[in-house]
Amino acid sequence: MNKQEFLDRLRNGLSGMPREDIEERLIFYSEMIDDRMEEGLSEAEAVGAIGTVDDVISQILTDTPLTRLVKEKIKPGRSMRPWEIVLLVLGFPVWLPLLIAAFAVILAVYIVVWSVVISLWAVEVSLWAGALGGVISAFTAQGNGLSGIAMFSIGLCCAGLSIFLFFGCKAVTKGTLKLTKRAALWFKSLFVGKEAA
Amino acid sequence: MDIQLKRGLLDVCVLAAIKSKDSYGYQIIKDMKPYLDLSESTLYTILKRLETANMLTVRSVEHGGRLRKYYHITGAGLKRIEDFKDEWGEILSIYRFVTKEDDGNE
Repeated sequence: MNKQEFLDRLRNGLSGMPREDIEERLIFYSEMIDDRMEEGLSEAEAVGAIGTVDDVISQILTDTPLTRLVKEKIKPGRSMRPWEIVLLVLGFPVWLPLLIAAFAVILAVYIVVWSVVISLWAVEVSLWAGALGGVISAFTAQGNGLSGIAMFSIGLCCAGLSIFLFFGCKAVTKGTLKLTKRAALWFKSLFVGKEAA
Repeated sequence: MDIQLKRGLLDVCVLAAIKSKDSYGYQIIKDMKPYLDLSESTLYTILKRLETANMLTVRSVEHGGRLRKYYHITGAGLKRIEDFKDEWGEILSIYRFVTKEDDGNE
């Protein structure tokens, strides 16, 4: 890919972001490529050193606050006509609850996902409690050897299960964190690059 | 590493790279290479943040028929570096305390 292709694709991918942001970034990357070429790299090598356009875009999105993207998206390209303003005001009882509902749904989904993670950790903690309880009651069940052994083995089972579950919990927590990050990135990407399509 | 801590470190690193003389984007990346790998996007974000915080100023200089942006550290930027040194003096003494405890336990 040559420099112009890279910059064009970057511009398309970022469309939807504030115009001055895009221009400033393009100048920055253009300078980076020029400086590398000046050092003896070929054009393709210099562009390659920057990384793929998709990587650059997703990193820019990660660094750009969502509020900035939303602000740019809802900024009208032209001044609104009187009837549009009237409609917006009259429609207020309709679109505001819908907007609130949409955000509530997103928030609810987020909370539900984390509830699953929290429940898993709760099971993990209870298994440990079970293991501890089992072992302790095995020693306190005086005079009844059989139930003591039973308690002890239940305690061991709980301990074993909890060790297994610990790794599961860790993986699920990590996965959820990763998923949250990707979801945020995906949500941000809804605001840019649409004009390129 | 803690994200806030890393962000603070990167800011000071970039300020240090332009401390002795004005520098430009690619030169900053090259100067920092032995210490940490900095991507263009990250550098851009840091430079922008430091510019907003008035810790550096930018000027365009003609170079080989094109414009190149040079970054110049301001008084606030120099103060940030000094503050960083003070802060890390404290952190280092805490670190020594923590590792001393470790030695004691062994």
